[in-house]
Amino acid sequence: MRKHSIVALTQAAFLLLAAGTARGAADYERDIKPLLRGRCYACHGALKQKSGLRLDTVALMRKGGESGEVVVAGQPGQSLLIERVAEKDAEERMPPPHEGEPLSPAQVQMLREWIAAGAAGPAEEKAETDPKDHWAFRPRVRPATPVVADAGWVRNPLDAFIAKQREAHGLVPQPEAPRGVLLRRLSFDLLGLPPSAEEIRAFENDQRPGAYDKLVERLLNDPRHGERWARHWMDVWRYSDWWGLGDQLRNSQKHLWHWRDWMVESLNADTPYDEMVRQMLAADELYPGDPAKLRATGYLARGFFLFNRNQWMEETVEHVGKGFLGLTMNCAKCHDHKYDPIAQADFYRMRAFFEPYQVRTDMVPGEADLARNGIPRAFDGWLDAPTYRFVRGEESKPDKSKVIAPGVPALLAFKEPVIQPISLPPEAWQPERWPWVLDAHIAAAKAKLAPAEAALAKAHEKLAEAEKEEQDAAGIQAVAGAGAEVKVATLALEVSRAGLASVERRAAALRASWANAGDAGDAATAAAKAEREATAATARHKVADAELRLLRAAADKRGALEQEVKKAGEALGKAEKALAVSSEKYTPLVPAGAQWSPTRFLDSTKDDAVVKFPAQSSGRRRALAEWITDARNPLTARVAVNHIWTRHMGTPLVANVFDFGRKSAAPDHPELLDWLASELVESGWSMKHLHRLIVTSATYRMSSSLAGGEASAAKDPDNRFWWRRTPIRLESQAIRDSLLALSGSLDSTLGGPSVLPASQAASKRRSLYFFHSNNERNLFLSTFDEAEVKECYRREQSIVPQQALALTNSPLVRESAPKIAALLASADEAAFVRQAFAVLLGISASDAEVAASAGALEAWRKLPNSTPENARGNFIKALINHNDFVTLR
Amino acid sequence: MNPAHFSRRTFLADMGMGFTGLALGAILQREARATGPAWTPPDGLPHFAPKAKRVIWLFMNGGVSHMESFDPKPMLTKYGGKTIAETPFAGVQDPAKLAIERLIVPDANGNQRNKLYPLQVGFQKHGQSGLEVSDWFPHIARSADRLAVVRSMWTTDSNHMAQTQFHTGRNALDGEFPTLGAWVHYGLGSLNENLPQFISIGTREYWIKRDGHYLGPRHDAVPLRIDPANPLDFGKADGGVSADAQAVGRELTRQLNTLRGVEYPGDPALAARIASYELAARMQLSVPEVLDFSKETADTKALYGLDRPHCREFGTQLLAARRLAERGVRFIQIQHGGGGAGQWDAHSALKANHAKNALAVDQPVGALLEDLDRRGLLDDTLVVFATEFGRTPGSQGSDGRDHHIYGFSVWMAGGGLKGGVVHGATDEIGFHAVENRHYVTDIHATILRQLGLDSRKLEVPGRKRLEIDHGRPITDIIA
Repeated sequence: MRKHSIVALTQAAFLLLAAGTARGAADYERDIKPLLRGRCYACHGALKQKSGLRLDTVALMRKGGESGEVVVAGQPGQSLLIERVAEKDAEERMPPPHEGEPLSPAQVQMLREWIAAGAAGPAEEKAETDPKDHWAFRPRVRPATPVVADAGWVRNPLDAFIAKQREAHGLVPQPEAPRGVLLRRLSFDLLGLPPSAEEIRAFENDQRPGAYDKLVERLLNDPRHGERWARHWMDVWRYSDWWGLGDQLRNSQKHLWHWRDWMVESLNADTPYDEMVRQMLAADELYPGDPAKLRATGYLARGFFLFNRNQWMEETVEHVGKGFLGLTMNCAKCHDHKYDPIAQADFYRMRAFFEPYQVRTDMVPGEADLARNGIPRAFDGWLDAPTYRFVRGEESKPDKSKVIAPGVPALLAFKEPVIQPISLPPEAWQPERWPWVLDAHIAAAKAKLAPAEAALAKAHEKLAEAEKEEQDAAGIQAVAGAGAEVKVATLALEVSRAGLASVERRAAALRASWANAGDAGDAATAAAKAEREATAATARHKVADAELRLLRAAADKRGALEQEVKKAGEALGKAEKALAVSSEKYTPLVPAGAQWSPTRFLDSTKDDAVVKFPAQSSGRRRALAEWITDARNPLTARVAVNHIWTRHMGTPLVANVFDFGRKSAAPDHPELLDWLASELVESGWSMKHLHRLIVTSATYRMSSSLAGGEASAAKDPDNRFWWRRTPIRLESQAIRDSLLALSGSLDSTLGGPSVLPASQAASKRRSLYFFHSNNERNLFLSTFDEAEVKECYRREQSIVPQQALALTNSPLVRESAPKIAALLASADEAAFVRQAFAVLLGISASDAEVAASAGALEAWRKLPNSTPENARGNFIKALINHNDFVTLR
Repeated sequence: MNPAHFSRRTFLADMGMGFTGLALGAILQREARATGPAWTPPDGLPHFAPKAKRVIWLFMNGGVSHMESFDPKPMLTKYGGKTIAETPFAGVQDPAKLAIERLIVPDANGNQRNKLYPLQVGFQKHGQSGLEVSDWFPHIARSADRLAVVRSMWTTDSNHMAQTQFHTGRNALDGEFPTLGAWVHYGLGSLNENLPQFISIGTREYWIKRDGHYLGPRHDAVPLRIDPANPLDFGKADGGVSADAQAVGRELTRQLNTLRGVEYPGDPALAARIASYELAARMQLSVPEVLDFSKETADTKALYGLDRPHCREFGTQLLAARRLAERGVRFIQIQHGGGGAGQWDAHSALKANHAKNALAVDQPVGALLEDLDRRGLLDDTLVVFATEFGRTPGSQGSDGRDHHIYGFSVWMAGGGLKGGVVHGATDEIGFHAVENRHYVTDIHATILRQLGLDSRKLEVPGRKRLEIDHGRPITDIIA
């Protein structure tokens, strides 16, 4: 054992030394650097330079920080580095408490030895890259279109970026796919549905040069395009109908389909992406008077969680980060982000943008019952709610010494979000002022008249019948009873009439109060009177009703009923007495245009205190939305185009679609990503422009076949450089929808409430309209990889036997196959077979395929009890089970 | 040569051989046969005489404490509350030994936790071997003489992607790779054409959801939800179509898919779909039969704990596993404790956590060993009980243990292994595997060896595997 100058060695460290020295002196690359990287770089490296100190190269260590040099070669005793890591006082020690365990005595000793031996490092040691230089955080610059050898292949600049890389890797592009395949590809890609037989014929016959582009335009302008792409964005933006326990709503909101309809409509209108993001995050601040746009804030209503505000806020920050920015903000909840320049405080600064928001449901025209319809939306209800940083992310440990203000990570602060409180128009915070609100209440009251009138007419008929039979004692009694029923029904109609009058008067009084008219007081007096008259009418009806029941009661029930009649009479007396009083006080109409979605954060069995609708909004979310959608934000457009590209091309440009940070692999085609992002922004964030660019490119049109591409496959088996198309397994919704479309059964109604689970089996609506939540999933759809509502930035594309069973045994397929066969009716068998291939698979059948099909059709026809029709139905089912039916070639 | 022509012919030839799941690389390599050394895809036969035919792989999600299951460390109790540096075992923190960890920067988890935490459960010696098993696992303990416990495992990912690592042999930082089950499926032919040869049961929490990766989706596990009341989604045959008519349809689909391979040679998805369709038809009959427990005796059901709420779910899965194994399924992979990082992840309240989880798995696992043995199945069935890593000798908070990669335990039983043996050892506080250290791929190598497979012969051209990927069989525990 070597002698050592340090005296204060504990016995333990002494033993360790033995282990350490046995291996020889510490080696910088092998021992020291990994230790420092693991334990120190997060705060003293490229990401952060606490106290101005970096430890990621020996030179930087020697240079030191604010406290001077930290490593003195040959002098461990004078090296601050050693002093701080060996410090006994936990508060003084590095790494600080909660940032990591102290270094072990052996590790400290190793550092000492290395310094003692001269603190040597490699000659040209490279420092960690500056996070600012990380590709995704750099400002987006429109790259020049590269010049490529195979210029003839290039249809638009997108292809040039692809060709450049491909040529650099010595790869040869596969030829263009056959026309039938292209049509099917485009049709599913842009509409989520297969082309019809007529469309196939028309496209095959249109050999003019512009036919492809014309087709693309037609599909982009088809309203079904919005449905198709809404489903993609529903994945990314976590669409979910409400779920909870039994009837108790715990997550998301009822009627969230309004947000889905907003997506469909916005995509069809080519509403700019940035505008869609702004509306989702802040339509209530940007467009407080526009209910159509307010639907967009369903994005925030989706985040509702009944029991825990912190969880709600954390998920909101997480998915705003992942979905719009490709940032894992959630990794900074407990500590500073370990890879990206996001401080723990940044997580809470981001949360502060959302801290005031609450959820409510607004009445829609024609429906006064919010349980039946209404728009779930966001509003700022907690204007003064403070945001605190949670120590180590624990909600039981808020650091109340400092209120965290809204803000963005410094590295991305190309501008600080400017927060200006917003004065809301009266309708926003007094939603009963929306003209349709009072109309809906009046309509609801009116709707009660007709049934009451019908009931009265019926009672009269019954009385007339009884009078005809009035011959004996029983007959006389029947007439008395029927007469009493007429009285009750008459009074019930009076209740409805008085109720209507009361609603109308109260509505009039409200309107007068808003108009500040001189007669507002009179209107209020009239409203109060009408309300009291309604009360009296109700009391009269109750008396008559109780009397009727008494009349017919058995002897043993009479006592209780006599009591009831007496009480009802007393109540009536009170109500009639009240008629004489004059007052301006009346009961407001409920719901008053909107209702706050109650929360239960307080761990009680009761709703929390009602949150009122303030006349102001904080302006926080508007500021955030403007920062996210600012053209200078380096992430937003890149993240968006990556999502769009992935759905067209099967695999993304940036592999981790929700994490563009330093931990994720850099893209193989960074310039293409930036070019596409620039196209998006410079086209006014037009998604249709981007779709058009992608689907008209030569890259998009390549065949997915490997045939003839063996040499390229050997060099790039995973198709990283796009020398062929990557086939896509169709999403669950597209599979179900195509079965309905091909069988001519698809109900093409756009929009509306979600189809409830019990109605789904019979429904012919497109699958995006199916009620879908964490608890309620459609079995057929989930067999083909359903969207997980908690997080689904990409769909799985599994191949499991259960899918074959669904395509064989599900009622949907059993019903669809014969219908599809019937629609393809063609007397000539070969023509039928060829058409079926074209329509179901987008394939021109080969002779071998036709022959095999004909053989099977014959075999079916020969079976007992077979008909030509069911043979054809069986054939269609076999094609539904074909690989290419569920594949986008 | 005309490559396109060759591709087509090759694909059709594959169909003829019934070997439809060839990886792209395999097909390409065959194209190059004229220029390179001959390479042939696996023929489905073992490379040498196997000792085992099938594997039941039980994986405990979250990380089981090795010190409180199969590797007792009384020193923890003796020095409980002391920091490691204050004990005679301070040497465990030698940085060279800690350097196997492969995280770029430490997570909030995966710290060493310096203050030793006493054992939370007692241990007894069991069986003739006197193998020590903690009191949380009394039923497994009854099979002590059947177990080969490896106490010297290590891995490199101190977070839960170690679950993936245990199955692929690779740290997640390296990318995605085929799992052990996929390799077995790739290498060995079928024992029963009516059932999937590779089945996954339970939730794969921190997993990449696929197994085959470059071997192709044909080698992904088939997920099975073990619900005897509803054995197979869409499993009920179409009553309107006769069996003969269905057979014609299946044959036509097969033919047409195969013919598509002419234009799309070497498409792994196409091959996988052909296989899955054919399997699906057979599963319609076979799976409901497997999950029909009505012919099991009341004793057997009680043995697996189907009458006890706390272990009914896992017991049902393991009884199904035995029935699947009996019917020739090669690789049955069962994950216990889905949800979050995995239910065994006892960062706090370890005692309550492990006691509860052990209650859920112990009786079914004990039953499985006993049941397999009495049916003579244990001889050629390898049962594996594994977890992604162990837990720290030191305490996390007041009553938990953190993730621990430097030493942990796995046991195997049956399949031609020795019983009642302990192999390898950790140091006195269970920190490092110090004797006969084994990386996770040594478990793979042992299993492949017992199945008669040489992983080097399975290699796919163009997909170079590292030495450590192959691992080394643990010969000491092979009978």
